[in-house]
Amino acid sequence: MEISLPSIDNSREGYEELIALNKSLEDSFFDDIEINISHWFSANLCALLGCILDKAARCNNVKVSVPSEKTRRILQKNGFLAYFGYEKIYDYYDTTVRYLRLKPNEERFFNEYVIKELLRKRKFPIVSDKLEKKIAESICEIFVNAQIHSETDYIYACGQFFPRENKINFIIVDRGLGFRKRINSRFSTNFSGVEAIKWALGSGNSTKQGVPGGIGLAILKEFINLNRGKVQIISDNGFLQIDSQSEASYNLDEPFAGTVIHMEFRTDDNNSYILSGEIGCNDIF
Amino acid sequence: MKKIELRVYQIVGDEICVSADDGHRVYEIVRNFISEKKKVVLSFLNVTMLTSAFLNTAIGQLYGSFSGEDIKSCLSVSGLSELDLALLKRVVENAKCYYKDPQKMEKTIKEVLG
Repeated sequence: MEISLPSIDNSREGYEELIALNKSLEDSFFDDIEINISHWFSANLCALLGCILDKAARCNNVKVSVPSEKTRRILQKNGFLAYFGYEKIYDYYDTTVRYLRLKPNEERFFNEYVIKELLRKRKFPIVSDKLEKKIAESICEIFVNAQIHSETDYIYACGQFFPRENKINFIIVDRGLGFRKRINSRFSTNFSGVEAIKWALGSGNSTKQGVPGGIGLAILKEFINLNRGKVQIISDNGFLQIDSQSEASYNLDEPFAGTVIHMEFRTDDNNSYILSGEIGCNDIF
Repeated sequence: MKKIELRVYQIVGDEICVSADDGHRVYEIVRNFISEKKKVVLSFLNVTMLTSAFLNTAIGQLYGSFSGEDIKSCLSVSGLSELDLALLKRVVENAKCYYKDPQKMEKTIKEVLG
């Protein structure tokens, strides 16, 4: 089976294409599958494509061909194609953020990866310590959310740095329960994918029992708003996109069994992140 | 009464304090001290990364075991940056709401359903 991917970017249509690929591979067993990436492919989406192909490769022979040298080199630099028999290439320009597949309990390695691959890049602009900390914190909150809630085998991450556009794209994917299943199972509700995502973004909303929680996604949402960034969340058939100007949600044609969280951070953010009312150690409890 | 210093770095064994499981280890130790009405300072010296998930289990769930007054009189923190203090404050406020109104989740679900 040979599948040629159309142009795929971080748009709703791009995600729909990859989720359609996921669907088309579901019934393939002991087949030769060749994925042809011959058009534009946003590098950070390697995390979602990797998650999809990883599952397919459990019982198929999966190959990836990338005729365009420019695209191929980017996917060799970020390490994605190394999983499919290509050599790794040194990223001289230091704009790729390595494709990574991690077990959920590898949070320390993940944190080091975020710092090394994202925040300590040679071309990463000099940003305030607080902005750097807020970016790292937001990403780690999402990783830990997947660790706690998803019951996934692996967590996939990848990013891309755009120095001229002053932005970093970063994506975390898991193939776990997803918001909808988790919430409907916990509360005996019948939420749609979009309703489940919206509920999960509410501060303090959590499916955990006996322990408070539900702050991580709310923190990300608030930070994205201040930073003028963007977040896209896909879970089951729900798609939600939030930026500082608007919020849009859609029902996808096909559901994705798991969760995709794509974050776009601005590096030209001059917010001081100094808090309006200073909190002292004695004001906490 | 002299305060006892509990070092988060020592309990977790790392500067990265992000997982709920690591937070629970801190919770179990702090809980033992508060149960005995001992005054403790939880030191975050050398901790470079925190998440709400860690703080929820380390400190937030104390509000399920003790009253706010007991926690306030026995527990204090040190070594946190301004941003981490703000995160902890938020975790604490969220925990107080959570244990004050255990039916809150069901209520928010009903709100979404209209």
